[in-house]
Amino acid sequence: MKDWFKTGSPWVWLSAGGVSLSLISVVGLLWLIASNGLSYFWPSQVHQFNMVDEKGQKSVVIGEIYDRERIPASQLAHRDLGVEIEGDTIERLLIKTGNRELVSLDFRWILGPQITEQSLPEDIAIVERRSNGNFYGFLEQIILDGEIVDNSRLDELLDRVNEFQEQIRELQQVDIGAINYNLERLRLRERKHVIDGTLTDEVKQDLEAQTQALKDEYEVLEKDLTALRDQVSRDQIVMRAMGGEKVTINFEQIIKVTFNNQLGFFGKVAVFFDQIIGFIFDEPREANTEGGVFPAIFGTVLMVLLMTVIVAPFGVIAAIYLHEYAGKNAFTKLIRIAVINLAGVPSIVYGVFGLGFFVYMVGGNLDRLFYPETLPSPTFGTPGVLWSALTLAILTLPVVIVSTEEGLARIPSAMRHGSLALGATKAETLWRIILPIASPAIMTGIILAIARAAGEVAPLMLVGVVKMAPTLPLDGNFPFLHLERKFMHLGFHIYDVGFQSPNVEAARPLVYATALLLVTIIIGLNMTAVNIRNKLREKYRALEH
Amino acid sequence: MITVNPKANEVAAPLDLNNLTPEQTALEIDNLNLFYGEKQALNNISMKIPKGQVTAFIGPSGCGKSTLLRCINRMNDLVDTCSIQGDINLNGENIYGKHVDVAALRRKVGMVFQRPNPFPKSIYENVVYGLRITGEKNRRVLDEAVERSLKAAALWEEVKDRLHDSALGLSGGQQQRLVIARAIAIEPEVLLLDEPTSALDPISTLTIEELINDLKKQFTVVIVTHNMQQAARVSDQTAFMYMGDLIEYSDTNTLFTTPAKKKTEDYITGRYG
Repeated sequence: MKDWFKTGSPWVWLSAGGVSLSLISVVGLLWLIASNGLSYFWPSQVHQFNMVDEKGQKSVVIGEIYDRERIPASQLAHRDLGVEIEGDTIERLLIKTGNRELVSLDFRWILGPQITEQSLPEDIAIVERRSNGNFYGFLEQIILDGEIVDNSRLDELLDRVNEFQEQIRELQQVDIGAINYNLERLRLRERKHVIDGTLTDEVKQDLEAQTQALKDEYEVLEKDLTALRDQVSRDQIVMRAMGGEKVTINFEQIIKVTFNNQLGFFGKVAVFFDQIIGFIFDEPREANTEGGVFPAIFGTVLMVLLMTVIVAPFGVIAAIYLHEYAGKNAFTKLIRIAVINLAGVPSIVYGVFGLGFFVYMVGGNLDRLFYPETLPSPTFGTPGVLWSALTLAILTLPVVIVSTEEGLARIPSAMRHGSLALGATKAETLWRIILPIASPAIMTGIILAIARAAGEVAPLMLVGVVKMAPTLPLDGNFPFLHLERKFMHLGFHIYDVGFQSPNVEAARPLVYATALLLVTIIIGLNMTAVNIRNKLREKYRALEH
Repeated sequence: MITVNPKANEVAAPLDLNNLTPEQTALEIDNLNLFYGEKQALNNISMKIPKGQVTAFIGPSGCGKSTLLRCINRMNDLVDTCSIQGDINLNGENIYGKHVDVAALRRKVGMVFQRPNPFPKSIYENVVYGLRITGEKNRRVLDEAVERSLKAAALWEEVKDRLHDSALGLSGGQQQRLVIARAIAIEPEVLLLDEPTSALDPISTLTIEELINDLKKQFTVVIVTHNMQQAARVSDQTAFMYMGDLIEYSDTNTLFTTPAKKKTEDYITGRYG
């Protein structure tokens, strides 16, 4: 035994065990998130259950099976179920029945013993709608401009409507959005003239003329919009729900109609990818519980990139000063210790700091100096994407400083001496030799910064993230990048959907799907940075030996 | 017995090192004392280094020969605890004077280190580094400088087809010649070589030694070496140092055949060091 310890193999086993444990937990985490998240997109079959309840009344339930569990029979002992119970547990199923206009809840539990028959009728349609959630039922008829037409024209009519919807969206968000934006700017210019006391009649007339021009333009667009809306709301479908009720749904409301029970494997795969694409590129609907998460992806990536752009130069400059120029004395040591300790401050503290310093102090003063015309409504004096990026930049600054300094320290002094001996000054040596060689280490710092920043949610809740941002921080209106705007973030989206949504059951798979997306994006950002670093490393590899 | 480089002997009569005319003198070291903190590393060194010749500093490890060499282009400035008294005159001007531009000095006094230290750039960029520092942007001037320097460093034939490959792909001996090419590309007056072959194999060493012989046509060369045979082969003058003192300084032939001091004799006959 003693000899065995001496060989060192227990330590090999121990460390290998540690490595495998961490590997297993990482793989397990990814697997859990991926399987739960991806199953959200897989088209599930729609079951029809014929039920008989305790009073002997028959009913039909149509919906997707979301969950099944066994409960002890004793829990239902006080109820006479009207059927015999075998064993001491009862199976119950959670069914997503949709049809929110008929029943107030999307989901219902049904008891296994009460099911008399279960089938998968081929002609059940799932109608995905812009509001009120899914509708499950049978397609009865299609009404085209008041006349009943053949049901086979469904796809053609849907394509037509979706095309119009796209045009409406474009008109509203781009053209009308731009007019509103410019009208607001004109209003602010007038106020500025009022505040400065320079509002002459000439200026006033000029502004009024411009406003009028925009308003005229708006009226034209509005007419187009009304025309499009009329086109969109022309046709309807009539659906028969599980209870036999007939419901008319306007095409305007419909996003798509699928017949999941008719899909073969490849059909399901196609729907699966279609759903994923929709999730990534669409905007959220229904209090974030449906639709896509595009604004949140956009916000996350934009904020992280902004943060990187801010933190990289500051971190590198600070590290260069500390390593190259600062005297090697107690004060420098103190600063270095302080920097390292900053990395340990809880992130919410940075959030509080960002709110107090950036938002209220810096932002408030910016507003007073440069945007007095919009006051009392703040421009920069309110949480926004710039302040979020700055707050996270401070949060990740220590990481960049520490790894850059380590990189600088690793550079052989022969490099410096070689450059200095050729008549280069210290600054020239830094620029031309030291920084390029240190670039892989700088990239390592940036990678760590990205990894930390992309996952932070707590400080962002104080300095810029919102549940629902009406506009992206980047659009077609000058100056294109609107750093003062609030934004959506995937991390916050997970929290919001999971804990703040009115429809918890519907949100659960969405939480996993969003988490999967967040992990994918962070890995993607990291891989890009790692790739850049590896290219740089390759370039300077021979130096490390 | 150590054989003296026959080429070195071809130089007519050995110079009288104590009475060099200003025209013959490249460097004049005058009462130089150097301290690392409290510890004195160079004691009162005075010598004149003649122009267009190869001067070698020899001596056992820690005798101060490298330190003395580094004083000539003020690389010792980089050591925080180092303080220097005395003068070194380059062309009659004290390089430790008040208003000396150190970067300009180092352009006049080039240096090659013990281990080859090419920058992680292309061969071309390595050679033109010093010129780029001076702001030279003319492509033709740079191209010419690269060819001239690499030829002078006997490297041109080996690398002319891959000037834009990384310099780190060269062998140790090639790297050292590249570093020499880099140093002479800015046309210094003096070239300092700090044990330039100690990290190289014998064949590369031989190439570099032949190179040194060619270099003295254009530059004043000062070489530090712990290898006495090398000093005998390449140098015209040799200075023997011991414990921070300059023990003996004379033409190489005399120093190796009829040393005036007992310590020198002990050292060159291998009794210590």
